Amino acid sequence: MLSLFKKKKKKVVIIGLDGVPHTLLKLYIEQGLMPNFKSMIMEGSLHRMETSLPEISSVAWTSFMTGKNPGEHGIFGFMELREGSYDMYFPNYTDVKAPTFWDAAGVQSVILNVPQTYPARALKGVMTSGFVALDLKKATYPESAYNYLNSIGYKIDVNVNLMRDNIPAFFKDLSVTFEKRKEAIRHFFKNEDWQLFIGVITETDRLHHFFFDHALNNGEYHKNFIDFYSEIDAFLGEIYEKAKKENALFLTCSDHGFTPIRTEVYLNQWLIAEGYLEIGDKEKGLPTISERSRAFCLDPSRIYIHLSGKYPRGQVKDAEYEHLRNELAEKLRSLAFDSEKVAKKIYFKEETFDGPHTPKGPDIYVLPNYGFDLKGAFNRASVFGTSHFRGMHTHDDAHMFVSEKQDKVYANIEDIAGIVSAYLQ
Amino acid sequence: MSFSLNEKVEQSKKIIREAVEQFGYENIAIAWTGGKDSTTLLWLFKSVCSELSIPMPKCMFIDEGDVFDEIMEIVEYLKKEWALNVIMCKNIDVTSRIQKLGDMVKVKDLNERNRQEIKNINFQDDEFPFEPESYIGNHLMKTVPMKAFIEDNGIKVLATAIRWDEQEARTEETYFSRRSSPDHLRIHPILHFRERDIWDNIHKNSIPFCKLYYQGFRSLGARCSTKKFSDIPAWEQDLENTTERSGRGQDKEAIMGQLRDLGYM
Repeated sequence: MLSLFKKKKKKVVIIGLDGVPHTLLKLYIEQGLMPNFKSMIMEGSLHRMETSLPEISSVAWTSFMTGKNPGEHGIFGFMELREGSYDMYFPNYTDVKAPTFWDAAGVQSVILNVPQTYPARALKGVMTSGFVALDLKKATYPESAYNYLNSIGYKIDVNVNLMRDNIPAFFKDLSVTFEKRKEAIRHFFKNEDWQLFIGVITETDRLHHFFFDHALNNGEYHKNFIDFYSEIDAFLGEIYEKAKKENALFLTCSDHGFTPIRTEVYLNQWLIAEGYLEIGDKEKGLPTISERSRAFCLDPSRIYIHLSGKYPRGQVKDAEYEHLRNELAEKLRSLAFDSEKVAKKIYFKEETFDGPHTPKGPDIYVLPNYGFDLKGAFNRASVFGTSHFRGMHTHDDAHMFVSEKQDKVYANIEDIAGIVSAYLQ
Repeated sequence: MSFSLNEKVEQSKKIIREAVEQFGYENIAIAWTGGKDSTTLLWLFKSVCSELSIPMPKCMFIDEGDVFDEIMEIVEYLKKEWALNVIMCKNIDVTSRIQKLGDMVKVKDLNERNRQEIKNINFQDDEFPFEPESYIGNHLMKTVPMKAFIEDNGIKVLATAIRWDEQEARTEETYFSRRSSPDHLRIHPILHFRERDIWDNIHKNSIPFCKLYYQGFRSLGARCSTKKFSDIPAWEQDLENTTERSGRGQDKEAIMGQLRDLGYM
């Protein structure tokens, strides 16, 4: 009898698709390449979604899992400087300063491969961390889950090193990694008790970084590219059906979009050329910055004023800060390549971030126009250049699919936590 | 309390002496990688054997398919210099089927032994990419040749150069430890050496070592997965406050490597 009165627990399933753009999904659906996704959007709604600033995975997935902006969750990039020094460190899960929606909801959860969750920590359920995760054992909770993942030869990430001299091996590794990922998702979906299920596919982002120029044209690897999307579509169809059987709300989302690269832009080289930065040894980078330097850049386009009192060799006084920042912003706005403006928008720290960790954020953030991949490298010879990368992230073209009709036309990645939490209650 | 380097050396020699006296040098093998720790272990064995006027046990060197040239150089050099009997172990059945890292190996092409080993670890795919440090690669390229070596040579005792301070997982190890499949005894004579002790002992006794340590490598594994820790020689680095194996897919360097591969840094 009791079961009649017991409220049935509401379930949520999220499949994260790292770097899958809204525009590309729409196009592939129209072209008939993603039949499952096509039927999904007839029943639910697909939204274009804005992501975090900076528009990189570690920051964006942290905004996804906390529903907060970097000023509140404290993650501004893959690397950060230790306070009062030029020593670099790599923020991990322990540096995320806001609660994740699974911790806040306290529901039975399976959290697979979400970036920026390394090392894994105990929760009600199962977790295995995503990029950057070094050791599967430390990346997985509890140990039984580690034993299982180890036994199937689960791979945390694609070996992108293979791109250097063995492209067929890269594609093979991409599909092996994806197979293992699917196997793990299916296993935990079936064998764990969960109310919230999240599985992130990283392979799409890896494919895009090296082959996004083949997404739309008939280049040599176009077929590899669309074949991989067919596999993605087949898997989404499978999980969507399974989620329906569980009466679960089903979502997919990405952490940013992608677009082909026209040129890379090395902002530290630009700062050097404009006389704002001097680096003693370009290979050693920031630790060799001179006292005369007034600004520097960290990946991807976080610009910091070299303030006195904040940095060991900083000489810029507080009184000079506003003037210097305005001057830099003005020059950045006019920075051009082939007479095209590099910057789409220049953001100032306090207008962009909000929360107790805002002071840690960059003084200026440069959002580029499509095609200009901004980089913080110190060891480049010129301001513009190219490499073996073919795709770059976009800020305004991530996607979110919800298996419910929703009026919203334009979402932000910080909204997802709210949607999920409200549904789980 | 802490022990002096001399006391640590004596402790190691005592363990080696015990093993040699109980099992006989001919039933013992020393696992040698060409790295600083196992070369130190070899040097300790050499001292004990010369004190007891007995021959050196044989050495097992495992070629996992991606060995640094600099490692081969020191191995060849010491082999002659110290007149060592080194047995090179390599899973040729696997390496003969590939040309470079990442190439695919089909399970059905492998010999029965390897197929059985693959089955034993519950690997179910039809093929896998060749990577010495993947789950399956590690098993086929390191564990399998070691097992074959122990069986083929009737080895009763295998001495290895693991140390307590290397990584957390090793803090539970003991000097003598029984192993099954195949049945043998592991001995760990230098468990109590710290990274600093290894270098102090190497310099004090002019023990030859691989030149990669000059270039900043702290710990050596397969070429594809070992990165430099710094540009200064290993022994001049801050050994007490940084992790030795971080150049081996563990910490900072590994993270930077992964980020660089994706265009950051």
